Amino acid sequence: MLAHNTDEFRDLVEDGRARIAWVEKHAPVLTGLVRNTLSDGSLKGVRIAVVVHLEAKTAFLASILADAGAEVIVAGSNPRTTHGAVVAALRDRGLTVVSEADGDMATWEKELLLAADHQPHYIIDDGAELTLRMAMHRPELFRQLKGVSEETTTGTARLLAMAAAGNLPFPALTANNARCKHLFDNRYGTGQTTIQAILRLTNRQIAGAPYVVVGYGYVGRGIAEYAKRMGAQTRVIECDPVRALEAHMDGHTVGAARDMLPGASVVVTATGGMRAIGSPEFRFLSTDVVLANAGHHDLEVDVDALGHEALSVSAPRPGIQTYRLGASDIHVLSGGALVNIAGGSGHPVEIMDLTFAVQGLGAHYLVNTKLAPGVHVLPKKIDDSIAAAKLQSMGIHIDQPRQEQQDDVIGLIKGMPQP
Amino acid sequence: MTILPFDPALAAVGKNKIDWAGRGMPLLGAIAKRLSQTGSVNGIRIGIALVLEPKTANLALALKTAGADVSVFSASADGPKADVVAALQAEGVTVFAATGGAADDLTMARALLNTAPQILLDDGAFVIRLAHREFPGLVAGMIGAVEQTASGVRPLAEMHKAGQLQLPVLSVNDARLKHIFDNVYGTGQSCVMALLDVTNLQIAGRRVLVIGYGWVGRGVALHCAALGARVTVAELDPIKALQAIHNGHAARSVSDAAPTAEVVFAATGIAGVLTPDHVRLLPDGAILCTAGGGAFELPMDHLRSQGPPRPLRRDIAEYQTGSGKSVLVIAEGHRINHTAAEGNPIEIMDLSLSLQASAAELLALAGRSMSPGIHRLPDTIETALAVQRVQLSGGSIEPMTPELEHAMRRW
Repeated sequence: MLAHNTDEFRDLVEDGRARIAWVEKHAPVLTGLVRNTLSDGSLKGVRIAVVVHLEAKTAFLASILADAGAEVIVAGSNPRTTHGAVVAALRDRGLTVVSEADGDMATWEKELLLAADHQPHYIIDDGAELTLRMAMHRPELFRQLKGVSEETTTGTARLLAMAAAGNLPFPALTANNARCKHLFDNRYGTGQTTIQAILRLTNRQIAGAPYVVVGYGYVGRGIAEYAKRMGAQTRVIECDPVRALEAHMDGHTVGAARDMLPGASVVVTATGGMRAIGSPEFRFLSTDVVLANAGHHDLEVDVDALGHEALSVSAPRPGIQTYRLGASDIHVLSGGALVNIAGGSGHPVEIMDLTFAVQGLGAHYLVNTKLAPGVHVLPKKIDDSIAAAKLQSMGIHIDQPRQEQQDDVIGLIKGMPQP
Repeated sequence: MTILPFDPALAAVGKNKIDWAGRGMPLLGAIAKRLSQTGSVNGIRIGIALVLEPKTANLALALKTAGADVSVFSASADGPKADVVAALQAEGVTVFAATGGAADDLTMARALLNTAPQILLDDGAFVIRLAHREFPGLVAGMIGAVEQTASGVRPLAEMHKAGQLQLPVLSVNDARLKHIFDNVYGTGQSCVMALLDVTNLQIAGRRVLVIGYGWVGRGVALHCAALGARVTVAELDPIKALQAIHNGHAARSVSDAAPTAEVVFAATGIAGVLTPDHVRLLPDGAILCTAGGGAFELPMDHLRSQGPPRPLRRDIAEYQTGSGKSVLVIAEGHRINHTAAEGNPIEIMDLSLSLQASAAELLALAGRSMSPGIHRLPDTIETALAVQRVQLSGGSIEPMTPELEHAMRRW
């Protein structure tokens, strides 16, 4: 950690502040609806750990919570995505930040335990990373948790598994299941920025290039859609038959890994699981293929297996590692970490305005509502209010439905004989 | 004028970048081999004034390997590329890299001309025009020049009309293999992605005004619309305006579109297409950038006269418009894809630079018998390259049969 009185630290703070100010300029829902809702005093003295990819947008959410009186503890949700200048700016304004930039898995594990030791009441989590570790390594503190709001599909699945195993003694909100989150963040946010990061890191052309997307959830759909719209020949690998059929209807070529991978110039993993491209898939890859990951887990492209099997590894450009497998060169972007954050600037600001509105209002809802232990979804009313605020900020007005425009359900069932 | 000291560590970084680009440039690689075998450019002094980055470095090295005496000029607006410069120097290419703005550009371009190039490969016709103005003796002895862009071909054609062009100039831009691909997909993709990278903003739903619907404007509009933007096109030519409408965009004059334009892309190559009056109409915080041409398309002098710009982020500066509002100018108005990103994608430049190399070869072989004026590349060069690229993409070409040939001649 840099001493706060050095020029280097001041420069970092200024850089971080400018980045956060840029976010504020383009986040009308956070600066309006969320700030207003949180200003009721209910967060005063509440300890909230914010464990999300630590860059400027996350920093702005943390700042808003702190402005509302919460004691905020900030940690990164992946060691490769923590931004040094943003960390400095948050520390400078008095927030507790346990993470450092340029860490590795070992330092990151320590940082998460440090965050746990600050005894948060609530966690805004990503991948349930802190929640899982508190349950495992800090069981007493875990039992004192009052609630968790979770960002991702992966983390939601983890929380549901904990609940099913009887290991979730507090209410958890899945921000991911709010429509204002997954419809936009997963699809447009990850879709746009994943393509952006791949093109920026490689300087390659997308029009005409065969792109394979592994996994056709909201994230995979967004990536495939953006790639197709920009001229790529898109192929989809998906194990779920309904989603595979959906991908086919959306105009992508669908099939098994052995048929889809050969000849691909870019492969993007978006399953939310692990080893989507693992050792059994390597032999289907053509030389000069670029592998990128858009899912939560750094091992979705099995870089460990690649490392074991490779004859040599080189780094031809920043953010690219080239593994020589037999006679093939396999290029991996950003070490297999989320390419749009580790190899780019993360989601567009406007998208995170929505996602973090869900998280901010979710935290406020958790603090102010008595909920049973288990996984809950943000009430529709709050979800709707976020979209309404966004529309309003853009000067877009929508109609209210009139009574006579609705299906006359009551009329249809009135007088129906009982079976 | 500053000559960068040679730095071997930097050269290694630059070489990696050049090699990475080379992986995606199989056509240029094949031409390089052919030139080395035929020796057709051997011993010829070639001056390259293309945007200097890893792809054009591959062209310079291909010509150098084939025995040409290669010198390179790089304009300061095209960003600092010290690693690529060092890597080229390590291979024996002379590089004149300007870093200090317009005055330095002029000094460095003159230095390139002082190497007495016999063939010039230019981008924007800056050096070709300079040679005509200041180096008439040199021009008289030159074999010819190659021009890459529409922005450069336009003034050269005007010079020719006025009887001032003394050289045969091969227009790479007029090749279908160039403008249909480089301008539309290369510049389109890279400018729009650069805007997103620089701003970290979303383009879906945004109102974007594209000024000019030539090949570059079409590419920018296409990629903005693909990413969900609502695109309006401003165009002098009614046919092109109508085409924009049929491509799903709106067509309006700049004055009509400006009040709702959140992002403005100038894509005309013509100075002053966005005026101080236009800028005053824009909503507060509108983003201005250029694709293909340069800062001269924007009213930069007016904006600078309204007070010092405030830097908001890397490559984003806020200028006052003089009407109580501000605009955000990306990369000081220079071509956004070159100044704030790495330029066109590699595969596209494989096509364009293969045309450049083929044009240099053609000039070396036959340029001395060409008359001054703008010349197109022969179709055979383009089609041979296109066939290779189609095959590399796993495609094939429909073969001509006597029956089809007969059917096509019937009347």
